[in-house]
Amino acid sequence: MTIIRKFSEAASRPSSIFPAVFLISAVGIAYQVTLMRVFSIGQWHHFAYMIISIAMLGFGASGTILTLIRARLAGRERQAFYLSLVLLALSLPLCYVWSQRIPFETFHLVTQGDQFGYLLGLYAVLAVPFFLVSTCITLALFLVPRRVGRVYFTDLLGSGLGAATVVGLLFLFPPEQLPYLLSVPLFLLAGWIGLGMGRRWKFLFALCLGAALFWVGVRGLAPIRVSEYKALSYTLQFPDAEVVADAQSPLSQVKVVRSRQIRETPGQLGNYPFAQLGALPEQVGLFFDAGSISVVNRYDDDPDTFAFMEYVTPALAYQVVTDPRVLVIGAGGGSDVWMALRHGAQEVTAVEVDPSVFRLIETELKEFSGDLYGRDDIKPVTAEGRGFLQSQGEQYDVIQIALLDAFTAAASGVYALSESYIYTREAVELYLEHLEPDGVLAITRWLKTPARDAIKMFATLVEAAEAAGIDDPGAHIAFIRSWNAGTLLLSRSPWTEEQVSAMRSFSESRGFDMAWLPGLAPDEVNRFTLLEEPIYYESARAILSADRDGFYENYLFDVRPATDDRPYFFQFFKWDTLRVLMRDMGFEWVPFIEWGYIALLGTIVQGAVASAIFILLPLITLARRTETRGARRWVVLYFMALGLAFMFLEIAFIQKFMLFLTYPIYAVAVVLTAFLVFSGCGSFFADRWRGDRFPLVAAAVGGIVGLTILFTLVLPPLFSAWAGWPDWARVGVSFVLIAPLAFCMGVPFPSGLQLVSDRYSAMVPWAWGINGFASVMGASLATFTAIHFGFRVLVWTAAAVYILCLPPLLRLGKRSDVA
Amino acid sequence: MNTYWRKTVFSALLTCGLTVSGYAGTEDDEFKERREHMVKNTIELRGVNDPATLKAMRSVERHEFVDDHLREVAYADRPLPIGHGQTISQPYIVAAMTEMLQVEEGDVVLEIGAGSGYQAAVLAEFVEHVYTIEIVPALAELSTERLARLGYDNVTVKEGDGYFGWEEHAPFDGIIVTAAATHIPPPLVEQLKPGGKMIIPVGPPMQVQQLMVVEKQEDETITQRSVMPVRFVPLTGER
Repeated sequence: MTIIRKFSEAASRPSSIFPAVFLISAVGIAYQVTLMRVFSIGQWHHFAYMIISIAMLGFGASGTILTLIRARLAGRERQAFYLSLVLLALSLPLCYVWSQRIPFETFHLVTQGDQFGYLLGLYAVLAVPFFLVSTCITLALFLVPRRVGRVYFTDLLGSGLGAATVVGLLFLFPPEQLPYLLSVPLFLLAGWIGLGMGRRWKFLFALCLGAALFWVGVRGLAPIRVSEYKALSYTLQFPDAEVVADAQSPLSQVKVVRSRQIRETPGQLGNYPFAQLGALPEQVGLFFDAGSISVVNRYDDDPDTFAFMEYVTPALAYQVVTDPRVLVIGAGGGSDVWMALRHGAQEVTAVEVDPSVFRLIETELKEFSGDLYGRDDIKPVTAEGRGFLQSQGEQYDVIQIALLDAFTAAASGVYALSESYIYTREAVELYLEHLEPDGVLAITRWLKTPARDAIKMFATLVEAAEAAGIDDPGAHIAFIRSWNAGTLLLSRSPWTEEQVSAMRSFSESRGFDMAWLPGLAPDEVNRFTLLEEPIYYESARAILSADRDGFYENYLFDVRPATDDRPYFFQFFKWDTLRVLMRDMGFEWVPFIEWGYIALLGTIVQGAVASAIFILLPLITLARRTETRGARRWVVLYFMALGLAFMFLEIAFIQKFMLFLTYPIYAVAVVLTAFLVFSGCGSFFADRWRGDRFPLVAAAVGGIVGLTILFTLVLPPLFSAWAGWPDWARVGVSFVLIAPLAFCMGVPFPSGLQLVSDRYSAMVPWAWGINGFASVMGASLATFTAIHFGFRVLVWTAAAVYILCLPPLLRLGKRSDVA
Repeated sequence: MNTYWRKTVFSALLTCGLTVSGYAGTEDDEFKERREHMVKNTIELRGVNDPATLKAMRSVERHEFVDDHLREVAYADRPLPIGHGQTISQPYIVAAMTEMLQVEEGDVVLEIGAGSGYQAAVLAEFVEHVYTIEIVPALAELSTERLARLGYDNVTVKEGDGYFGWEEHAPFDGIIVTAAATHIPPPLVEQLKPGGKMIIPVGPPMQVQQLMVVEKQEDETITQRSVMPVRFVPLTGER
C-alpha cells in the first residue's frame, strides 16, 4: 500500500511531467523511424521524406490547435495532457493499422485521381500520433512555464535515446511489430500518471487499454502492405513461390524466396549454348525491403555449375588478369564471388554491408549454397565497401562492384534521392589506390532508357583517373554492353595490345557490343544490340574530348560524375529532362523515369502548402490580439530560421559522418543521438542562464558559425586519417566532434522560447509549431540543396541562416523591454 | 414505411433492368465502333500500318478479355489489370509487337505468358497456330476457356514455365515473350527458326518502355534491337 501511495503521490507532483516528456519524446522518434522503415518496405525509400513531413505536419497542427484553444484550456492542462497521452498510446498501433489498409499505390498517382485521396488519407491518419506527441510536450510547457529550457532539454534527451534505442529494436523485431511494442511503455506511463488522476480518467485509461488489447487479440498484428510493383510482390505471384526464411536488421528486411522461376544473372547471357551447357543452377532470391534482389545459387560440388558466369558482361574483367586476388563489393548472395572463382581467382574477399546476408547463408542456406562463405578461398567481411577499403592497406588484382540495385528500381529512378558513396569520383580514386599496378576496377550498371546511367559511370571513371594523375584515361578504360547491362573497366596501367585483343574477342564471341576500347573504330560499334544511334560510344568519345563540359551541358540528363560533396549518382534529373519527356512521352510516363526527384519536389510543395495553412491560420486569430502585435513577424522569422538551419546542419552532418561511420544507419543513429543529447545539454545550460539572453544566443551563433567553417575545412582530412580506427573509437570521436556544435545549437531555441513564454505566452505553441514546419521544409530543402549545390553549400547556408536569427531576437528583446 | 421501401427498390431494379437490356441491344455495335476508333486514332496514328495486324486488331473483341467492370475502358490505350498481378498490355503495344514479329499465314508462333489470351487471339487471326504458355494456373485456365468460347481453335494454351519454350513444336517462326527477367531465356533463342524474330518488351509490368526485337539470321548470328514505342530523340542538346 505504501509503495502504491508513494507512486501515486509521485505521479501527482508537477515534476512527474519530466519523465513523461522524456518517454513520450523517445517513443515519438522511435515511431517515426519505424514508419520510415515500414514505408521503405511497403513503398520506396523516398517515403522517408514523406514521413518526416507527416511528423512535422502533426507537430504544426498541434501548435495551431493549442493556440486556438489556449484560453479554454486554462486550469485544465493536466487533464488535457493525460487525455493526449492515453490517446497517443492507443494511436500508435491503430494509426499504423489504418495506414496499411489504405490502398495507396505511388505509381498510380498520375493515372488515378482517387490516389490523391488515399495519399491525403495517409497524411491524415499518420499525422495523428505526431499531433499527440507534440500536444503532450506543448502542454508540458504550459504546466511548468518557468522551466521551458528543462522541458526542451528533456524532450531532446528523450528523442536522442529514442533514436539510439530504435536502431537496437530493429535488430530484434520486424518493423511491423514496433507500433504495438512502442505503445507498451506509453500505457505503463499512463497507468502511473493515472494513479494521481480522478476516477473518470482511470476509466478512460482502462477503456483505451482494453480497446488496444481487444484489437490485437481479435485482429492479430497487421502486416505491411507491399506495393504490387515491388519485386517481391510479383515474384510471389509465381505458383510455386514461397518465403522460406527471413532476417531483420535496421538496414533492411530480408525475405528469402524459393521458386523455380527465379533465374537472375548479372545482366544478359550472351550467346549461352544452352543445349550444350544446360540450365542455370537452382536459385533462391534474397529480397531486400521487398525490392532489390540478390540470388543464392545451389552448389553441389559440380565444377560446371557456374559455366554461365563466362557469358555475362562482368566476366570481361577476368579476360585481362590471371589467378587474381579479388575484392567483391556488394557480395550479396555470391554470384560475383562464384564468377571470380570460376575464372581462377586464388582468393576472394567478399564485402557485404547487410549483416543478415552472411547470417542467412551461413545458417538456413548453408547446404543449399555449398557453404559458400565457409570456403577457405573466400573471406567474408561485413562492412560498407568503401569504409572497408579505407580501413586497410590491401591491394587487389580485381575490384568488382556488383550490381547492387534491382533492374526495375533502377529503371524508374526511385533511388534518385539515395546517397551512394561507392559511385563517387573520390570512391573510384580510392579503388585505384587499392589496385595492384596492373589491376583493374570493374563496375557493372544496368542500362537505362534513355541512356544515362553507364554514361555517368564512364564520366566518373575518366575524371577519377585524371584526378589520380592518369594523363590519357581513354587508354585505361574499357566499356562493353549487352541489351540491359554495361560493364566498365578501369586499369591502373594502360591496356596492352594483348589485353585489348582478349577483350575484343570476348565481346564478339558473346555478342556484346563494345562501347569503348582504345583504337575502337566507329564501324565496330553497335553491331549486336542495335541502338538507333551508337549513343554510348559517341558519349564516351565526347567525354574524352576537349569539349566535355559542352557535352554535360547539352545532354538531356545530368551525367556529371557524382562527388563526395554531391553523392547522388542516381540523380539524373534536369528541368529540361521533364520538358522533353513530357513532350515526347506524355505526363503519365514521367514517374517511371525520374520518380525520386519528382517525389522530392512534391514533398516540398506539400510542406509549403501545409506550412502556409497552419501558420497563417493562427496568425489570423492572433492578429486580433493587440499584445502580440509587432512581435509576430519577429517570432515567425526567428523560429522559422532556427528550424531551417538546425535541419540543414543535422542532415549535412548525417551525410558527412556516413562516410566516416561507414554504415548509413549508424551514422543516422549516432549523429541524431549526439545532436539531440548535446543540444539538450545546450538547452539545459540556457535554462540556467540568468543573465541577458541576447549575448548568450549571439555567442552560441558565433560558435556555430566558427565550428561549421572549421569542420568543412578539417573534417575530410581527419576522416581519412582516422578511417582505420575501430568502430567504437570512430563512434566516440564522432560524439566528441559533434558535442560542441550541438551544444551551441541547443541554445537559441529555448532562449527565444523562454522570452516568448515570459512576454507573449499566447504565442508559445505557435513558435513551437512554426519551428516544426520550418523543420519539415528544412528536411526536403536540405536534400534539394545538397543535390544541386553539394553539402558544403548546404552547411554554409545553414551558418548564414543562423546569423539571420540574431536581428529578430534583438527586436523581440527590445520590444519586451518596452512592454 | 415498408411499402415505401418496397416501391423504391422495385423501381430501382426496374430502371436498372431497363438500362441493362436497352444497352445490351447496341453493345456489339458500340464496341465495334470503339475498336475502329482505337485502330484509327491510336494504333494507326502511332505508326502501325501492317494490314494483317490492323485487320486483326479490328476483329478481336478486346472487351471479352477483361473483367466485366473494365469492359467500358477495354479500348482505352492503356494496360489493364487482369488479376494475379498481371496486366493485359495496352492495344498499341499488342499491335506494335504483332507487326514487328512479321509473321504471316502458315507460320507457327510461340507466346510466353498467355495472360488474358488477347495477344494470342490477335495472332491467331492470321497465323497457322499459336502455342502459348502461362505460368499462373488460374490465368491458364481462364484463357483456355475464353479462347475456346470465342472460337479460337488454332490456339493451344499450356500451363507451365515458359523459360524452356515448347520443344515438341519447335522451331517457331516467331516468339513473343511478355515478360523478361535479367536475361533472354537461351532455350527460346535456340527454338527460333533462322530468319525468325523474337519480341520482348523490356521493363517491369505497367511500365513498358521499350521493345526488344531479337533476330536470328540465316547464319544463326543473333542481333537485338531496341525499338521504342515512344521516341525519345533528340537525346542531345541543340535545343
